[in-house]
Amino acid sequence: MTAGHDPIATSVLQRALKSITDEMSQAMARTTRSPILCEAKDFVTGLYDAAGHMLEQTENLPILSFSLGPVCKHLVATYGDDIHEGDVFLHNDVFSFGNQNNDVAAFKPVFVDGVRVGWAAAKGHMADIGGAVKGGYNPNATEVFEEALRIPAVKVVDRGVLRRDVWNLIFANIRLHIVEEDMRAEIGACTVGERRLQALVGRMGVTRFAQLRDQLFAATERRMRAEIAAIPDGVYKGEGKVFFDGRHPGSAFTIRVAVTVAGDAITFDYTGTDRQTDGFVNGTLTSSASATTLAFLQMVDPDIAHNEGMIRPLVMVIPEGTILNAAYPKATTFGNHLCPPNADAIARALGGAMPDRVTAGWNHLLCALTTGRDPARDEDYVDICFMGLKGGSGAMHGVDGYDHIGMIDASGGLLDQDYEMFERQTPHRLLRHEYWTDSAGAGANRGGLGVLTEFVIGGGPCQLVTFGDGDVVPAFGLHGGLPGTLNRIALHKPDGSVHVTTSKDLVRGVPPGTVYRQWAGGGGGFGAAWQRAAALVVADVQAGVVSRAAAERDYGVVFVGDTLQVDGLATLARRRAMGGP
Amino acid sequence: MEEKPPIDRARWRIGIDVGGTFTDFLAIGPDGRVHVHKTLSTPDDPSRALIDGLGELAAALGHAPCAFLPAIGMVVHGTTVTTNAALTRSGAHTGLLTTAGVRDALQMRRGVRERQYDNRYTNVEPLVPRHLRLDLPGRLDRDGCELEPLDPVATGAAIDALVAAGCEAVAVCLMHAYANADHERALAQEVRQRVPRAYVSVSSELLPAVRFYDRLSTTALNAYVGPKLRDYIDALLKKLAAAQFGGVLRIMQSNGGVVAPEVVRERAAMTLLSGPAAGPRAGAFYIAAHGIADAITVDMGGTSFDAALLLGGDPLFVTEGEIDRLRLALPMLDIATIGAGGGSIGWIDAGGLLRMGPQSAGAAPGPACYGRGGSLPTCTDADLVLGYLPPAEFAGGRLPLDMDAARVAIGRDIAAPLGLSVETAAAGMARVIDANMAMGVRSVSVRRGIDPRELVLVVAGGAGPQHCAAICDELEMPVFLVPRQSSIFCAAGMLMSDLVHDDVASLPGRLDQLDPAVVAQRLADLVARGNDMLGQEHVAPEDRVFVPSLDLRYVKQYHEVNVACDPCGAAVADLFHAAHDRLYGYHLRDQGTPIEVLHLRLRAIGRVPRPRFPALDRSTGDANQARLGTRRAWVPERSAFEDVAVFDGDRLMPGAVLPGPVLVDQRTTTLFAGAAWTVAVDGQGHFIGYRADARDRLPAALREVCP
Repeated sequence: MTAGHDPIATSVLQRALKSITDEMSQAMARTTRSPILCEAKDFVTGLYDAAGHMLEQTENLPILSFSLGPVCKHLVATYGDDIHEGDVFLHNDVFSFGNQNNDVAAFKPVFVDGVRVGWAAAKGHMADIGGAVKGGYNPNATEVFEEALRIPAVKVVDRGVLRRDVWNLIFANIRLHIVEEDMRAEIGACTVGERRLQALVGRMGVTRFAQLRDQLFAATERRMRAEIAAIPDGVYKGEGKVFFDGRHPGSAFTIRVAVTVAGDAITFDYTGTDRQTDGFVNGTLTSSASATTLAFLQMVDPDIAHNEGMIRPLVMVIPEGTILNAAYPKATTFGNHLCPPNADAIARALGGAMPDRVTAGWNHLLCALTTGRDPARDEDYVDICFMGLKGGSGAMHGVDGYDHIGMIDASGGLLDQDYEMFERQTPHRLLRHEYWTDSAGAGANRGGLGVLTEFVIGGGPCQLVTFGDGDVVPAFGLHGGLPGTLNRIALHKPDGSVHVTTSKDLVRGVPPGTVYRQWAGGGGGFGAAWQRAAALVVADVQAGVVSRAAAERDYGVVFVGDTLQVDGLATLARRRAMGGP
Repeated sequence: MEEKPPIDRARWRIGIDVGGTFTDFLAIGPDGRVHVHKTLSTPDDPSRALIDGLGELAAALGHAPCAFLPAIGMVVHGTTVTTNAALTRSGAHTGLLTTAGVRDALQMRRGVRERQYDNRYTNVEPLVPRHLRLDLPGRLDRDGCELEPLDPVATGAAIDALVAAGCEAVAVCLMHAYANADHERALAQEVRQRVPRAYVSVSSELLPAVRFYDRLSTTALNAYVGPKLRDYIDALLKKLAAAQFGGVLRIMQSNGGVVAPEVVRERAAMTLLSGPAAGPRAGAFYIAAHGIADAITVDMGGTSFDAALLLGGDPLFVTEGEIDRLRLALPMLDIATIGAGGGSIGWIDAGGLLRMGPQSAGAAPGPACYGRGGSLPTCTDADLVLGYLPPAEFAGGRLPLDMDAARVAIGRDIAAPLGLSVETAAAGMARVIDANMAMGVRSVSVRRGIDPRELVLVVAGGAGPQHCAAICDELEMPVFLVPRQSSIFCAAGMLMSDLVHDDVASLPGRLDQLDPAVVAQRLADLVARGNDMLGQEHVAPEDRVFVPSLDLRYVKQYHEVNVACDPCGAAVADLFHAAHDRLYGYHLRDQGTPIEVLHLRLRAIGRVPRPRFPALDRSTGDANQARLGTRRAWVPERSAFEDVAVFDGDRLMPGAVLPGPVLVDQRTTTLFAGAAWTVAVDGQGHFIGYRADARDRLPAALREVCP
């Protein structure tokens, strides 16, 4: 054993770090103003060592979280000696390791006895970040300048003193005052992390802390490598499809991954992936790397600690100029949402090598953002309809998909707005938010259910932006499981006309009284549906989430008349016709 | 009308805590003397152990039960009937009536999956299945104005459907009912009229506060566990009456207060997390004897560890929590519970790090050393190997411990994989679990901006006293207190718990624009309701205390900070800014950001007299008469085994001072303090451990006891 080796103290350190990032997360959730942050929890918090290595994170939205470390390292490289106790840096720039323009991070260095021992960071999706369209997601953008204000690593607080000039410059370019308040909350969360990390390292001493950190990274890396070593060696290829770049109807793009497993090493090589688009449907280096990381993490032991040791074994080749890593100054706001097709590509690649670990397809995100004015409150609002976007996850061997979990980018970390809060924070009124019958892909294990959402648009004229996918090809089934269902958003206007949106749309002047209808699809099924226990099908029919017709057609379960009693002989016959014994 | 005094000091008062294994009784006689009794729990009908135990207690005191029960003035009872019903999903067949379009919110839980990277993690079974979640026409807007009336035909049909399905309980929760309860009231009345036997749980009665999912989940939980608690309480009252019980019965709630049975019958959810709720109050009592008001109480049992913060002699509260991943938005004590106990199992993760828990061997199969079929190494096994537990005299000799089994388990699963000796491995297990518990302590203190180093650790539970010195070391806390009767801590706490009713009123608006007359009126309404409740419970007016607080936030924030204050006073804003900075790392005083008010809360308290434990004889403080000998035990400061002096806790009297390392064997637990520690016995016979090298950091009041 190496000198100072102490698995016990290492385990203690890991717990302590996690409790700090959790506390930072709680501070963010309770102080931010935008419902995107405080209701849906579209943010992450983390701690890093002095050089920017990840110590621990709380990842409400995983797609955001694996770019904080790279940005932290970039900060250290950029500022060198000019990093002092009491400094605060802001950053969102997608061409220096940011994942998405709207995801703005705050970083605060942490000092103990004059020595920098680490960083506390928080990053959340801001309600506005300048650019051509309020709230972001400009589907017509071709360059970053049409999307957002770029914030490269910028020092906004110097040794505890606010740099008012810089601060004012930033917020003069952002439409909504709450963004300034939410950035204060982010910095507050960093201060909470700073205070706690200071106390922790102060107690054990800087040297001891460094020793234990190295041991923690090494232990975590061993655990990760053991998981990789359990995958049979080989080169595994898979593809994921992206439809419509927002500018060219009918356009389609392919993500191609070759996963090479050799012993305890793994490489995700995206060479051969389609070129970048000239719209905003482009990934950034870290949004794509985050997507790959989170998709793979779902295939290994979920209890592995999240630190530098966990990500070290994951090697990625994401060529610049592809749809996953657009070159400067391309538009990229959509990049986070290339996670679902990227995850599809990885699942298809590894499905054979890890049959018990891979799920069928998850429902892809399709989402709408409404902005406008609430005259009764005399306030502007920006709302992302999180409750509407959350479809079902894919089923896997032995486990049904998770109903209404939402996009794989978040994997259930992103929450619905509370209905009453939704009606208080916007002028809209909810009519319906329910499981969507027959939305899940049938299978021995069925996919997760999708949802139906309807609300009446209220207040003044409303601007609606959609972004997402999943309206062309449904979530795929695996090993004989059936696919899920398609996404769709339709606006039923008071004059009786219906506008079905595209997946990347900008609709101006939506009149009040319009009914917004959204179908978020279900996940794909796993295994042939006739294998599913009839009792489970009966339960779904009783609950009304599978119709009698679908029970008979897809699962081969036939009922006696209108009862919930299974017609045993008819079911046997029907299942035999489907391939059963 | 003359009010009947609530508690007759001339009669017996008894606290009864029903645990998984034992039902504990703490009885205080008319002379103020304290008696302890334990009997085996009867989980199939917990009231049996309660009635039987009272009879046994009478016999032990030399009374006939028929003479003893009429002499009891008050029984305070903590029950886990609702907790078990929720955890084991054995509650009532429940139906839900709600607003059209939103019935699935109960099952969706806002779409959360708590373990994001775990695709095998499934959603929680909803308390009300989808076919019994019926939605109805009738709609209010966000201001409580009616957009659509209820439809009597649809309402009637829905109620008939629930009756036909055999529902015993009905939850009623409608959109925006916090702003206008008319629709809910009409629905509830209709249900009660058509189905008089049904347990009806109405969101605007239980929790008139904004946030639909929180209210829905809480209302459904209340309905689900309500009939069980109602039936249990009714049966218990009947049995007590048959046994000629002449006093009042009070039930423990999650908010640390006690309440009359007829009140809690309708608010069953108030008892869901009441298990550990009596502990902090007991802790406050023990330190109050020393004039100390700030402490952290911890209770380490077989499977879980509970930690709570006391400030100014009072436990702290949160307005929401959860049980088995189900939201429960009712005020409750702020207690951090983690999976660390004597039964916590040690294991090595794939990266080679030692872990403890959260899996627990529980009482069955139990730790390896229990010899009841358990073979995995637990915290208790480590404690035995380390010499902290007496092999032969454990649990008063009723459960001899198997040292060999403990060593085999630790050797196989911990020591061999780590390349350590069994002893070092056991010491490591203790250290990891101590660190886990220290984290729990930190989470209730540091999170609130409180430095644990300035507080006393009050320790309860069978496993607590073996670990408290190490937890203190981990947190740099200089002093702990182990009550002489630490294993019946909760039963004692019940006798010290006041009657408490939490009420809330919506009061939306800006703090600087609130109309003082309106605030005063709302407060007066809440006080009147509190007075009604306390009056029903025969609390004398001079024993009633009302504590108002406001839920505040900066404008456009959506989560509140609860600030105890005079809601009409001038200091509210300053108190809020300070609390915000302590909790969240900043405040907005300088930006002049307006403050919003969401709710006015009122806690109505009916004070009960505290028991007086008689002072023990100080003249027998010579420790030597209580010395039992020595035992080989691990001394962490020296990383070595030594012969450690062992004392009989029952024979140690006030004034005794024991330098560490030292072991104090008690009937149900053993206290261990390492070489850096000294243990002194205080005037009530409780054990105070302190670090001699940190004596200057002790609260002044303790310096006399700690020479």
